Amino acid sequence: MASSEENEMYSKKQWEGCMEIAVQTARTAGQVIREAFKHEKEVSTKSSPVDLVTETDRLVEDLIISSLREKYPSHRFIGEESSAAGEKCLLTDSPTWIIDPIDGTCNFIHSFPMVAVSIGFAVNKELEFGVIYHCLDENLYTARKGHGAFCNGIQLQVSKETDMSKALILTEIGAKRDPATLKIFSGNMERLLKAQVHGIRVIGSATLALCQVASGAADAYYQFGLHCWDIAAAAVIIREAGGNVIDTSGGPLDLMSRRIVAAGTVEMAHYIAQEIQTITYERDDHNAN
Amino acid sequence: MSDVWEECMDHGVAAARKAGEVVREALKNEGCMSVMLKSSPADLVTETDQKVESMIISSIKEKFPTHSFIGEESVAAGESSILTDNPTWIIDPIDGTTNFVHRFPFVAVSIGFAVKKELEFGVVYSCMEDKMYTARKGRGAFCNGVQLKVSGQEDITKSLIITELGSNRNPDTVRRVLANMDRLLCVPVHGIRAVGTAAVNMCLVATGGADAYYEIGIHCWDMAAAAVIVTEAGGVVMDVTGGPFDLMSRRLITASSRAIGERIAKELQAFPCERDDGKKEDQL
Repeated sequence: MASSEENEMYSKKQWEGCMEIAVQTARTAGQVIREAFKHEKEVSTKSSPVDLVTETDRLVEDLIISSLREKYPSHRFIGEESSAAGEKCLLTDSPTWIIDPIDGTCNFIHSFPMVAVSIGFAVNKELEFGVIYHCLDENLYTARKGHGAFCNGIQLQVSKETDMSKALILTEIGAKRDPATLKIFSGNMERLLKAQVHGIRVIGSATLALCQVASGAADAYYQFGLHCWDIAAAAVIIREAGGNVIDTSGGPLDLMSRRIVAAGTVEMAHYIAQEIQTITYERDDHNAN
Repeated sequence: MSDVWEECMDHGVAAARKAGEVVREALKNEGCMSVMLKSSPADLVTETDQKVESMIISSIKEKFPTHSFIGEESVAAGESSILTDNPTWIIDPIDGTTNFVHRFPFVAVSIGFAVKKELEFGVVYSCMEDKMYTARKGRGAFCNGVQLKVSGQEDITKSLIITELGSNRNPDTVRRVLANMDRLLCVPVHGIRAVGTAAVNMCLVATGGADAYYEIGIHCWDMAAAAVIVTEAGGVVMDVTGGPFDLMSRRLITASSRAIGERIAKELQAFPCERDDGKKEDQL
């Protein structure tokens, strides 16, 4: 395993090269998904009857990981489908790719047009860059730490809104659908509506929703139940667009915690964190020692 | 066979496209838009809404001076929203004004057309995506020239449903809206989506990308055009009770199949909403 010193020795050019490869890989994967979008999909379930997966998810993840592994044999990988197959979600100091091959699998199955490939990258447990590719609109969101965030080459800037009563908020439901969970979920929405937010939207893809925050089109996003592979790339993109990502408790973001609040301003992020009650999901690193 | 309303529909499409350009131009302008409130702090309107509606209505009046109009902003300014037998254009200049204000990319111009109280054609232009949805009664539904077909899904437990939270912030109404959503999530359905515009939501059902949309609290100008688009794509429109669709009722279910529509109706509890035509329950 590479030591911290060795990792430091990698020049910044190295990560830039990795990011270029990530972009190419995301585009190729996106094309596969676009093709598959038009056809019948074979659907299986994972943790619940609404936690869906298809052959395309697995195919695309294999494609991404094998092409990255060929170029970077010493790097590590955390991928949604590998994790479902039993691989541990352990983030070490090693350069690590954190991959969601299809974010918005339910949308993909229904041909609801919000589907993305998400590729994040961490070194020494720090998120270094993120690539999110909207497969149908062909919008490419990218950010490298310290170098700004972009969509199709145009720089992104978050909203500067601090007033909850002027906020447009995005969220997702998550895979748990038992009555107790839904009560908390609705209760959270009720509290936000009581604060007179402009509206709440649900688009079915956490990574694309987070990109809407990065672009300033939404003022905040909150969710319980998403994974590290949904957060990794988007966190860099939002930070580089000037925004904030925090834990739902108000503390610092915890990549493996299954929860997030993201917003253009720190005030907005904290208002939302204060309003929402927790829905507990098992941590992504629950089986990592 | 020639279509007596073809000229009107062509004009509707052209007007929607032009309106979409105006909306896109307005979005390019840096800085905040001037936003006003209507019925609640979440019911927004801008100068662009008003400008676009004037533009659409005056261009139609020039060509079809005897026709009637029901437009969102005209009605807000006191015009009637009663549907007569006269050829009537039913217009929402910007469906998704909240999205427009935030630059959230789902904003549509919606132009419906009715004669003898029957909907004849519908045009919905999702202008940020440049998607032109059209349908002429009996001639199919299209998006940018590609024919649309609903999903045909009949099994609610495999369905993706769209709805909205609405702009009514009355706590009791909010609770009822959320309770309806919870009941559907518990069925369980695959998921619920909300993109922020009724017209686009309905068009997504028409494309097969979602299996149903329902909402209580929308207006005739939100539903008129898209109702034709969904039905011409093979879908159904009905009342939230499962009964026949009523354009002035402030509510609907639109679905890929009668089975899904009726199943949703079973879970929904309606709440009262003042009708667009001002009629009371006992006058129906």
